Amino acid sequence: MCENIPPPPDRGTDVDSMDRETISRVAKVARLNLTEEEMERYAKDLDDILNSFSVLDEAPAGDSYSFNPIPVVDVLREDEPAQDIDPQVLRAQMCTYQDYVRGPRLS
Amino acid sequence: MSVIYDLIRHAQLRHRAFTEVVDVLDETKFHFSAKDNLCAVGFQARAGSAVLDGYRPPFDATPVSRLRRAGGQLIGKTTMDEFGFGTFSTNSAHGVPLNPFDVERSCGGSSGGAGAAACLIPGHIALGVSTGGSISGPASFCGVVGLTPTYGRVSRYGLIDYGNSLDKVGLLARSASLVARHFRTIAGPDPKDPTSCAQPALPEKGDMPRSLAVPKEALQNLDPSVHDAFQAALLKFKDMGTEVHEVSMPSLRFALPAYYILATSEASTNLARYCGMRFGRREEELNQHFNDFFTGVRSEGFGDEAKRRILLGTFCRMVGFRSRYYLKSLAVRQLLIEEYRQVFRDHDAVVTPTMPFVAPLFEEIGRMKPLEMYGADVLTVPPNLTGMPHISVPCAYVHGMPVGMQMVADHWKELDLLEAASAWEKAFDYRFPEVAP
Amino acid sequence: MKIGLEMHFQLPTRSKLFCSCPTTSAEPNHNVCPVCLGYPGSRPSLNRKALEAGLAIARFLDCTIEERVWFSRKTYFYPDLPKNFQITQYESPLGTDGHFDLNGRRIGIWRVHLEEDPGRIKRVGRSGEEIAFVDYNRSGIPLVEIVTAPDLTSPEEAREFIDQLVTELRSLCGLEAQDEQSVRVDANISLGEERVEVKNVQGLRNLERALKFEASRQSKLLAAGKKVVRETRRFDEERKVTSSAREKETEEDYGYIGEPDLGEFRIGEMARNLDLKETPLVRAKRLVSSFGIGEATAKQLVLTSVALTDLFEELCRHVPPERAVSWTTGPISGNWAVLQDPAKWPEIVQIVKDDSDGRINDNEAKRRILSLAGVQQESALEGGDDLSKLISDFVDAHPEVLADYRKNPKAANTVIGHVMKESKGRHSSKEVVEEVRKELEKRV
Repeated sequence: MCENIPPPPDRGTDVDSMDRETISRVAKVARLNLTEEEMERYAKDLDDILNSFSVLDEAPAGDSYSFNPIPVVDVLREDEPAQDIDPQVLRAQMCTYQDYVRGPRLS
Repeated sequence: MSVIYDLIRHAQLRHRAFTEVVDVLDETKFHFSAKDNLCAVGFQARAGSAVLDGYRPPFDATPVSRLRRAGGQLIGKTTMDEFGFGTFSTNSAHGVPLNPFDVERSCGGSSGGAGAAACLIPGHIALGVSTGGSISGPASFCGVVGLTPTYGRVSRYGLIDYGNSLDKVGLLARSASLVARHFRTIAGPDPKDPTSCAQPALPEKGDMPRSLAVPKEALQNLDPSVHDAFQAALLKFKDMGTEVHEVSMPSLRFALPAYYILATSEASTNLARYCGMRFGRREEELNQHFNDFFTGVRSEGFGDEAKRRILLGTFCRMVGFRSRYYLKSLAVRQLLIEEYRQVFRDHDAVVTPTMPFVAPLFEEIGRMKPLEMYGADVLTVPPNLTGMPHISVPCAYVHGMPVGMQMVADHWKELDLLEAASAWEKAFDYRFPEVAP
Repeated sequence: MKIGLEMHFQLPTRSKLFCSCPTTSAEPNHNVCPVCLGYPGSRPSLNRKALEAGLAIARFLDCTIEERVWFSRKTYFYPDLPKNFQITQYESPLGTDGHFDLNGRRIGIWRVHLEEDPGRIKRVGRSGEEIAFVDYNRSGIPLVEIVTAPDLTSPEEAREFIDQLVTELRSLCGLEAQDEQSVRVDANISLGEERVEVKNVQGLRNLERALKFEASRQSKLLAAGKKVVRETRRFDEERKVTSSAREKETEEDYGYIGEPDLGEFRIGEMARNLDLKETPLVRAKRLVSSFGIGEATAKQLVLTSVALTDLFEELCRHVPPERAVSWTTGPISGNWAVLQDPAKWPEIVQIVKDDSDGRINDNEAKRRILSLAGVQQESALEGGDDLSKLISDFVDAHPEVLADYRKNPKAANTVIGHVMKESKGRHSSKEVVEEVRKELEKRV
């Protein structure tokens, strides 16, 4: 992105019910095909779960955050090339053709 | 053949503790097992999921390789909930493990097979993994000792991820001394897992906790038999000369939601790689657009609970919801760490029952809604969220089923917990099921 | 016209950003391991050299350096992405709010950050049915992403900007010569109010073409009274046009979360302690301001050779800068192959100094330099006579030049041109001009 667009503000504390449109979008983002039955069921499940989780709104927001429960700071690796595993072993496991990994279609 | 090998086979065939076992036991080595989300050369690693069928890792997870190098033989991979998603090991694509005390009941989860193996096989040490309580829960339901070390104490290299800020590799066995013996082997920094490189060295020995704190919030909504068993255990501790105090930890009520949001957010990104390229199941026609191919593989391969958690986690990270769920949960984790620290100023460990009930019947589990199942983790989630070490030990038997008690210490104080557990098992006899020849 | 660029450069480390695989060129899928293949159970560890290179760039561009940075996961699905998420510092850049001096104008730099390269796809098959064949050698190579403000004002300026930036970064942190293929740029260009993004342009020539096409396209639209639609376009290298990127069929929501496996990095201290090399163009500016030499001369020096510029600066300590320039750009650079040996420099300095102080004359100084360079003496001697002879011979053969010269001094140029050509650069242009003038004046 060539500009620092701030993210749209959250939808606040009014609880959006997990509707079919939202669950459908989430499923697309996650690359999951859901049947009609699954859509309804998961929508209901997520709705229940998120409603129950709304107790979090009562917790204070922090000002800075960490992604680990213990401090993990400045752990660095020296720039030395090394390969523990023979890449031939890895290639043999994958679906390859002339050493390229065969993938699906692009269009 | 040997008695031990018979027991291993019994655990596999009668209780479905293992997805795979070796054909031959090497009697010169000590025997250990690894949960099926730990990679090991010579075995598949499927993490309880169909999406990884056929995957044979070309490397050992660090804890596995350390135990192998210390003279251990990996004798099998234990059954588990898919990717760790579950509290009863019922979400397994490779067989649901059956409780050693009562085959109609769950082993707990997600390290259910490890709990069963540790219980059924004397002298056995089982590698388990906990994200929200998946070592404690099976330890409690299967009547064994389960140690969940501090987050970052044991390398996670080679562990198939559920939640990177929550996963810990730990141990289950029949006694604290067995656990203690192997804990030092697997602990310690590993450059391949940077989060394991922040730990202080393990001290020579631990200190016996002198003062235990019981948060009153943890005593709500317990099965009455568990409540009574726990109170009896506390009395025993007092007899042993340990002080027991009631405390209040009001932030405990935020732990469950914060945990599930962080865990599923991280998991939904970890599971993105399962798409039929390079490893795992690929039974989808390659000759189609990549989005269709990926979607096909994933929809076929993931189980119901996995899909639910992927959806939940994806949602909580999305633009418009991220602050309220994902970022807030990060803040709650820090809040809870602070609250535990306050308690640890005056006490050495926090004690609660491990689970709100004994191992449920499968038919009871079948009637539970997802939210109810998540609720079963209410006592194990808090120390898992904060990354604090905790140990579950059997403290009572109710109608023949074990009841577990969980002790939590501050970061890095595993050895204190092991001291407490050692002292406890001198005062309280553990029972193990008789195995019919 | 406003143009902003988002550039990706590969950093010159020996191992990848998050694993120890080599970064040398190799057969497909030979520089791979479980980490850069995204195998279950693998996890990243950060290459120190990459972080230092990124910090050097951020400091060089005068960015505000954050005290604390971390990495995020950007999740999306594509066959070249082993984990189906990219680990990037997008949310937590190394530096922000910097600038680059382009010929006296400031180009704003919005951000500098690190991220990993995905694998490389080889498209196989008929157009419209292409299959992805993936080579993961490139997967995990460290990239630095540099994003500019929309301060560039023309396609040519955009190209020159990247040229200069790359020159500087090559010196600063050993960035590989970015040939036509290896610069990857997303460009934003607007003539009116709406911005159009042209994504994934490979190489400088294509970038210039794409921007020129886009500028022309937008200008035609506006001239016809139509609006420019804000959109993302792709550049077709073969047809040399930009076209609307197909409507994305599937939703992408990158759903950024922090990457817990790497932890955080307190880079403030690391950045402050970095010793930055003086880059060529920065050095050129300093030479201009310190020694008063011309900008073109300064640039010529720094872009020719660091060592030559070092010698030039050394000479400036002993003789006036103009002399240092003429010796450096003349016989010294003419014989640089031999004279680049630093063991010879004290003697060179002495010769130039002696010449400047008048202890020896220009010819003698030149003779000594050439001798030091191992050039044969006879040709050096001939050099001296040779010039006068060349000039006299020419004027003798072309008396009309003398007549022209009486009317207009510019006629000397004819003689100068011929002599320069004949002497094949043995003499500096200044010397030739002087000698020609002298000879012509003598005869007039």
